[in-house]
Amino acid sequence: MLAGCLQNPNAVGGGGAAGGGSVVDNAETDGDKVVTVMGAFGGAEADAFRESLAEFEAETGIRIEYNPDSDFTNLIRLRTSSGQQPDIAIFPQPGGLLELAEQGYVEPIDTYLDYDELDRTLLPGFLESARLNGRVYGAPMRMAVKSIVWYPKAAYEAGGWNTAPANLDELAEVAAEISATGTPAWCMGWESGQGTGWPGTDWIEELMLRMWGPDVYDDWVTNRIPFNDERVVAAFDALGEMIDAPNNVRGGRSGILSTAFGDAMLPAFADPPGCYLERQGNFVTGFLPEGVQANLDEEVGLFIYPPAAEGEYTGQPMLGGGDLAALMNGNDPDAIEVMRFLTSDRFGGPWASAGGWLSPHSTFDVSLYPDEITRTTAEFAASADVFRYDGSDLMPNAVGAGSFWDGMIEWLQGTKTAEQVTTDIQNSWPVDDSAKDEGDGS
Amino acid sequence: MTAVAAPDRPVVRRGGSPARPLRALWGLVGVVLVGWVLGNGFLSLAYHPEWYGHNRILMALVGIVLGIGGSALLFYCINVFIESLPQRASQGLIPYAFLLPAFALIGLMLLYPTVQTINYSFANNKSTAYVGLDNYRAIFADPAFWTALTNNALWLLVVPAVTVAVGLVVALFADRLSAGGEKYSKSLIFLPMAISFVAASTIWGKLIYDANPNIGVLNAILGTENDWIRMSGGRLNSFLMMIILIWMQTGFAMVLLSSAIKNVPDETLEAARLDGANERAIFFRVIVPQIKGTVLTVFITVVILVMKVFDIIYVLTNGQNNTNVIAVMFFDELFTAGRAGRASAIVVVLLLLVPPILVYQVRAYRKEAAR
Repeated sequence: MLAGCLQNPNAVGGGGAAGGGSVVDNAETDGDKVVTVMGAFGGAEADAFRESLAEFEAETGIRIEYNPDSDFTNLIRLRTSSGQQPDIAIFPQPGGLLELAEQGYVEPIDTYLDYDELDRTLLPGFLESARLNGRVYGAPMRMAVKSIVWYPKAAYEAGGWNTAPANLDELAEVAAEISATGTPAWCMGWESGQGTGWPGTDWIEELMLRMWGPDVYDDWVTNRIPFNDERVVAAFDALGEMIDAPNNVRGGRSGILSTAFGDAMLPAFADPPGCYLERQGNFVTGFLPEGVQANLDEEVGLFIYPPAAEGEYTGQPMLGGGDLAALMNGNDPDAIEVMRFLTSDRFGGPWASAGGWLSPHSTFDVSLYPDEITRTTAEFAASADVFRYDGSDLMPNAVGAGSFWDGMIEWLQGTKTAEQVTTDIQNSWPVDDSAKDEGDGS
Repeated sequence: MTAVAAPDRPVVRRGGSPARPLRALWGLVGVVLVGWVLGNGFLSLAYHPEWYGHNRILMALVGIVLGIGGSALLFYCINVFIESLPQRASQGLIPYAFLLPAFALIGLMLLYPTVQTINYSFANNKSTAYVGLDNYRAIFADPAFWTALTNNALWLLVVPAVTVAVGLVVALFADRLSAGGEKYSKSLIFLPMAISFVAASTIWGKLIYDANPNIGVLNAILGTENDWIRMSGGRLNSFLMMIILIWMQTGFAMVLLSSAIKNVPDETLEAARLDGANERAIFFRVIVPQIKGTVLTVFITVVILVMKVFDIIYVLTNGQNNTNVIAVMFFDELFTAGRAGRASAIVVVLLLLVPPILVYQVRAYRKEAAR
């Protein structure tokens, strides 16, 4: 009787995932030449997005209404649970997409896109991030890459250091040479307000990929191997070794924690530089001083964060992320048409020229990018042996946006050892309570 | 309405007016009609913004007219209904009738969520099935929950007492200043009250506690480069954050206590002085006993505020570095981890902790007053 006070456990969408046969639907009118799209990016990015769609709209006569919201992750849940989902949603993280896919609100892409065609042109590994129970529920329309090392071009070249280290050992040599001059080699900053610690998770992910390879990485982010596996602890130790090497990282452990990730590289452009190298995503250029930003190609140099020299895996990995477009109305031919365009390599020309956007397709026309830096970044991504999605974005929120961040801080401060931290994180991994969903009470 | 009307009586006399069923009916119909129009009017704002040309100002105006005009009409109709009842019934019912809408709203907005939260605390993460006491077992077994609880206890021990003490001292000394000096010093101390919690936390976090001595005043003064907000040794960072709340609340305590001090009759002070009491004795034996009620009011207000403290911790550390408190933990469980069951259980614990503290305080006050 009391169960009447709870929410209906069987309130799923169209049942695309559950039923298999039927098609997911929403409350929007089908085939009316209007397609509603929701996403997380606003401002200049939203303008560039709309601009990239203008030609398509003129050709097909479909009008695309894009509504951005900065709190997308919560809003899409809210709208979906009240039956007001858009035709297409663009998810910044796969976690939220898979959650809604599991509840049957998202159409699997194999029902309306040419999966093999997509798989051929996309960077390997992208579609995997949106896979649930064997089916893929979203396709990327934008890519971010993180395995890039940036340096101040003039000062670094004056030092005569290796501008393309082939493996982690060579990179460590470069760092040692720089440290020997009296200036720390690495710039690092993990402070990010409520999200403090996330840049640290990226480092662990990079090292996991390089030390143990993509298969172990996949097992790790899905918790098929426990978070406190000795291989994860080894990655923490490797990072600790790098941080604790004398004069290797600017500010040492306490300095890293109090430096905002966006400010970390500013000392590199001081005269003389306060540090030289920073491993960070392609968005870092947006945080550089204005003078540097105006002349990126001349001021900033970059190389790919190299693979391990030897060991379990020596291929070149690329860590990154992307926005995944997902169809929430399988009955609307117009929405399907838009999805085909969004996820193809034809999408994004004007956005690419505006800057700050990378196509997830290796076949995208790189001449559309505004500068050499962006082109090089895209080439790095395309030439990588394996692409892997940012692990903390794939882990459940309680870990990927919670205990993993906290753990990085406690470990960095030395209040807990790598073993303690990883065990804490493993214990915070949510236990699947789906069994309880169907159990007692109803 | 059950009383029989007397149609042949021409004048309605005071003290025994009869029931008027027709008028009662029209009052009742009016209540229902106004309620229906109001409800649909407000819903139309949400569901059919196109009726108002998507004009937000127009919609706001409609909302104001509906809200104020509607409630006036509603009360008018209730009044019509009540007054048409036999006078004895109507006189007894009128206070209840006018309280009813307020009680209904409180029930809807306060009691219903409370009951539902307690209900959900026994259910799973999606609130779809009961899981017994699992949520409570999980949170009580979680060391992070005990850290949060300890921190809340620390906040409770320190902040209200220090706020009242500092407020009292400031009020006392401001009282001795010249009229102008008192006015300005009080305004200055009251000023932080006008700053939002988020802004105050940012000001302190950046300008006072920042690790860079070129930005953070504390490091500049001490000549150190400590990242204060992350130093959890001896709960230092928690204490540093408590200072922010004390800084914000002292003004509030001062204003109330100051007016209480001014209300202490001069005669009692004079009598004490004539008897040879020194200033210390006057303060503790004459002033403080007379303003005890105000002190307690301020204390309880700050206690309740501290139980709910969220913004300062959320902005500065997000509960990291051993600074977590119950409210932040609840937020993380519900919105980051998506565990509605545990989140509900955490706030239920908070809900259970508040009444004993209040009851104890009020009891202590009554005992004091009865003495």
